[in-house]
Amino acid sequence: MEEKILEILEEYCEEALDYTGDNMMEEGVIDSFTVINVVSELEDVFDIEIDAKYVVAENFRNKEAVIELVRRLLEDE
Amino acid sequence: MSILLMEEPMQFLSAAFIILWVISFALYYLVPVKRQWIILAVASGLFYVAGTGGIPIGILLTGTGAYAGGLYLKRSLETQKNVLSDIADKERKKIVKLGFERRRRRVQILYFVCSLGILLCAKYMVVILPCLQKLGLTTPRSDTFFGRIVMPLGISFYTLTAIGYVVDVGREQCRAQENPVRLFLFLAYFPAITQGPFNRYAKLQGEFEREHVFDYERMLFGVQRFVWGAFKKLVIADRINLFVGNVFGSAAGGVPGSIYALAVVLYMLQLYADFSGYMDMALGISETFDIFLPENFKRPYFSKSVAEFWRRWHITLGTWFKDYVMFTFVMSKTGRKIGKASKKKMPRMGKHVTGIIGTMLVWLLTGMWHGRTVNYILWGVYYGVIMCISLVLEQQYVIWRERLHIKGGKGYSFFSMARTWVIVFAADVLIRAESLPQAGEIYRALLLDFRLMEGILGVTDHGLGRYGFLLLAAACILWLAVSVWEEKGKDVRRMITESPMALRWCCYYGVVLLLLITGIYGGSYDTAAFLYQSF
Repeated sequence: MEEKILEILEEYCEEALDYTGDNMMEEGVIDSFTVINVVSELEDVFDIEIDAKYVVAENFRNKEAVIELVRRLLEDE
Repeated sequence: MSILLMEEPMQFLSAAFIILWVISFALYYLVPVKRQWIILAVASGLFYVAGTGGIPIGILLTGTGAYAGGLYLKRSLETQKNVLSDIADKERKKIVKLGFERRRRRVQILYFVCSLGILLCAKYMVVILPCLQKLGLTTPRSDTFFGRIVMPLGISFYTLTAIGYVVDVGREQCRAQENPVRLFLFLAYFPAITQGPFNRYAKLQGEFEREHVFDYERMLFGVQRFVWGAFKKLVIADRINLFVGNVFGSAAGGVPGSIYALAVVLYMLQLYADFSGYMDMALGISETFDIFLPENFKRPYFSKSVAEFWRRWHITLGTWFKDYVMFTFVMSKTGRKIGKASKKKMPRMGKHVTGIIGTMLVWLLTGMWHGRTVNYILWGVYYGVIMCISLVLEQQYVIWRERLHIKGGKGYSFFSMARTWVIVFAADVLIRAESLPQAGEIYRALLLDFRLMEGILGVTDHGLGRYGFLLLAAACILWLAVSVWEEKGKDVRRMITESPMALRWCCYYGVVLLLLITGIYGGSYDTAAFLYQSF
């Protein structure tokens, strides 16, 4: 799962892989268009529905947070 | 007496406000820690009522709605959990859950419609009323009634803040507030009620609930920041206003394009100094109470793109729109349908369609939120289009840069910053011009009637003399130096506090002295403006 998520991030936002901080959105590493594309891709690949309430800076603060979000959603399914 | 409220808000730089601040500050650290929030609530109430010509019906309606809505959502979520825990069948669980979600959504939508309705009515009354009068749909009695309705203090801020609260409770990102006075404090917290920043309930409530103990250094930092904000407002913004107000208020027209160019550049600085100065004051006041509000500006004119500019300018408004409008729309059923359909029809560009619609929606609303004229709507559309183009073509830019062998050195960084300034410059013409025809006239003068020499020779004929410009330049250089230090990650406030005593007090006295001189200047400015109008 992790590998697949990193692949998606690499495809849409390569900088996210090297980012080591904790606020990718505010620091402009990942913009809103890219977030939308990443979310859409994650939904398709993992067959999950990511509600708007999960699309917040907290869940996109770095690549680990994105992996954690998908893991949580897969567990809830 | 107005019906909804507000004649004139209490200004931060008024004696009444300073007295309110000092008294509430003293009481805040004298009362038991658990009662500190009550001092803030009383101070906020006094601040709000002082700016009100009557009962603050607007905020009471919006606040009561948020309070009731929050409690309903909380109970619905609790009941849902209890009911679902008794159901074993997965499909049945899904159906029951959907039923609860639907009911909660209806309540939220009802609340949004009502609170936004009040906001729109208050904000657009001056536009709606003449239309109704033209159509003969009003009576003298209704005219009197509507004429008494004025913009409630901070309505644009507390309405969006309250909506954010209701959404967050529904999304289980915070717990609903059971105490209505505490919720009122969140909505009307006095340093933030007039111009923001936009607060998120979970964050600010956490600040209110923390234990606050008096700390001399923190108080000093707060006052320092307040004084620095006042400096930006009084020395820079208000001084620039002498020139900008004169140039844009010139009814005769015929102003050279070069003078307009300078006026717009100065207006860019005025807007920033004014708004960020206010934020410094608001955050500084709040800091003295050990309540930390979110930063709203991060030196936006150092931005290398428009997208970055808007991540650094009025940050809390941008994140509000992004979280509550853009992502909500994109992740909605309609947004998903549009996204899927567009991906099928346009394999390459389709993935951007919902983002484009979301961005345009956000910017249209941002324009409407800022003002009620066509200029503001055009301003919003302008930024929306630019943001969409830059985001869609982002990858293409990288390819072009590689092909042209452009490397990201200092020169390119400066070029990128200058490009951002030009884009902001063009937009600011729209919001500063008195009307759409004047904006058109300014664009024409800038492009076809620049008259550089005439502009240079006549620059002091527009409300700001030679010494005014010199003082403004000195103040701007100081401001720039501080901004550059901050941009390099230095904590200027700490640098001053830790510097030798002589230098430290020189800084304090210097800024305060400049403030006092400008205050006197501010008084004569008002008189001059009055005389000018009488002509």
